Amino acid sequence: MPIAFDSIRRARPLLGTFVEIEVTAAAGPETDAAIDAAFDAVARVHRLMSFHEHDSDVSRVNREAGVRPTRVDAWTFEVLEAAVEMHRRSGGVFDVTVAPALQAVGLLPGADGERAVVPAPCVGDAIELLPERIVRFQAPDTRIDLGGIAKGFAVDRAIEVLREFDVPAGLVNASGDLRVFGAAPHAVDLRDPRDPLRLLARIEMAGEALASSARRFDLMEGSTLGASAIINPATGEPAAAMIGATIRTSSCMIADALTKVVMILGTGAGDLLEHYGASALLVAADGDIQITSDWSQAVHLAA
Amino acid sequence: MSWVRYTLPAAAIVSAASPAYAVQYLSIEEAQKQAFPSATNFTEVQAGRVWKAEAGGKVAGFFVFDRVIGKHLFIDYAVALTPGGAVHKVEILQYRESYGGEIRSPSWLAQFVGKTGGSALKINGDIRNISGATLSSTHVTEGVKRILAAYANRLR
Repeated sequence: MPIAFDSIRRARPLLGTFVEIEVTAAAGPETDAAIDAAFDAVARVHRLMSFHEHDSDVSRVNREAGVRPTRVDAWTFEVLEAAVEMHRRSGGVFDVTVAPALQAVGLLPGADGERAVVPAPCVGDAIELLPERIVRFQAPDTRIDLGGIAKGFAVDRAIEVLREFDVPAGLVNASGDLRVFGAAPHAVDLRDPRDPLRLLARIEMAGEALASSARRFDLMEGSTLGASAIINPATGEPAAAMIGATIRTSSCMIADALTKVVMILGTGAGDLLEHYGASALLVAADGDIQITSDWSQAVHLAA
Repeated sequence: MSWVRYTLPAAAIVSAASPAYAVQYLSIEEAQKQAFPSATNFTEVQAGRVWKAEAGGKVAGFFVFDRVIGKHLFIDYAVALTPGGAVHKVEILQYRESYGGEIRSPSWLAQFVGKTGGSALKINGDIRNISGATLSSTHVTEGVKRILAAYANRLR
């Protein structure tokens, strides 16, 4: 007897955005439990890695790890390991210690109203990762923000939970950082970074992750329109070369982090993309669109 | 890694207009059952807004329906509260999105008039997955805080 599958879709406000989970599975308590557990995983990432929550691991290391070794959750440690490796492989372009620069331009709140001092770009091992999930900062004024990588990690954890519950196929979308699993291909529409009212391309994907970054639209209030939320650690200034970057690879965490690097390096990130088995679509400030040759068939430009 | 370049004069780029859509995730009734699977009875405490969930004669919690403005249009959501008045679950019931011209079109807006969160509404049968812009959930988060301030103590 064929098994009838339904498409079930839910959304919750998490990670400062709307996280959507869609599964193709038989409706019932089993599937509901799987979706609940997947959302719980996302909520756990939020609790551990939010810059804004006082009790998160991130807030704790920002207060303590410059003073004394601080133990963090296994998930936080895993993200920090990936962040440190990405920092090394990108020649310092990916840098989670840009929090003070983000505070200086008003993208993150300052600590207790004090004026954030932007330290010199970190050289080498600003973050030490020690056995037993211990984190230590070299300098007492180091502040990290995992906003450029944790959202993708949360998507990966949610996908993992759905698979553990034997859900046959699905999609987790944290406002544009998304990953799909299952046999059937999914079509994803990409917003035009020059005009968010329009779609730039339709992308077909199966069993992989996609993440996009763009110069910000008017989606966050009270901020300068058109400024980038991505800070070039070499200059401390918002990135300006690219206005949009979309990355496809197997891990949503890696895709999420790579968008930040590619916004700064543009086509110069080729070796890094190759190392991570990633494809990219770039929209340059002059309007040129560049797509890595391994991926151009799956991307259908709307123009 | 080699790149394929698409050079298009800016004026020639006519990208597809992102259509307006609404995603109906859950009806109020479905969301109530999701939030309190063991509940046998939902009593309306405040019409169309607050329900008391009961299981075997005991209060399982409260279900509060609310609506906030999103980017342009309303987002319907529900907060499930424990009997003690703490947040048990926040779920989006319906998300509506509009871009560009559609918002100014009276016929398009008319689709929403008189719709309650419980009425199914699909503008596009083909619901899209979109990448490329982070939508802020700040208004929902603020709404949840307002609900807690308004009801958490009163309902107990």
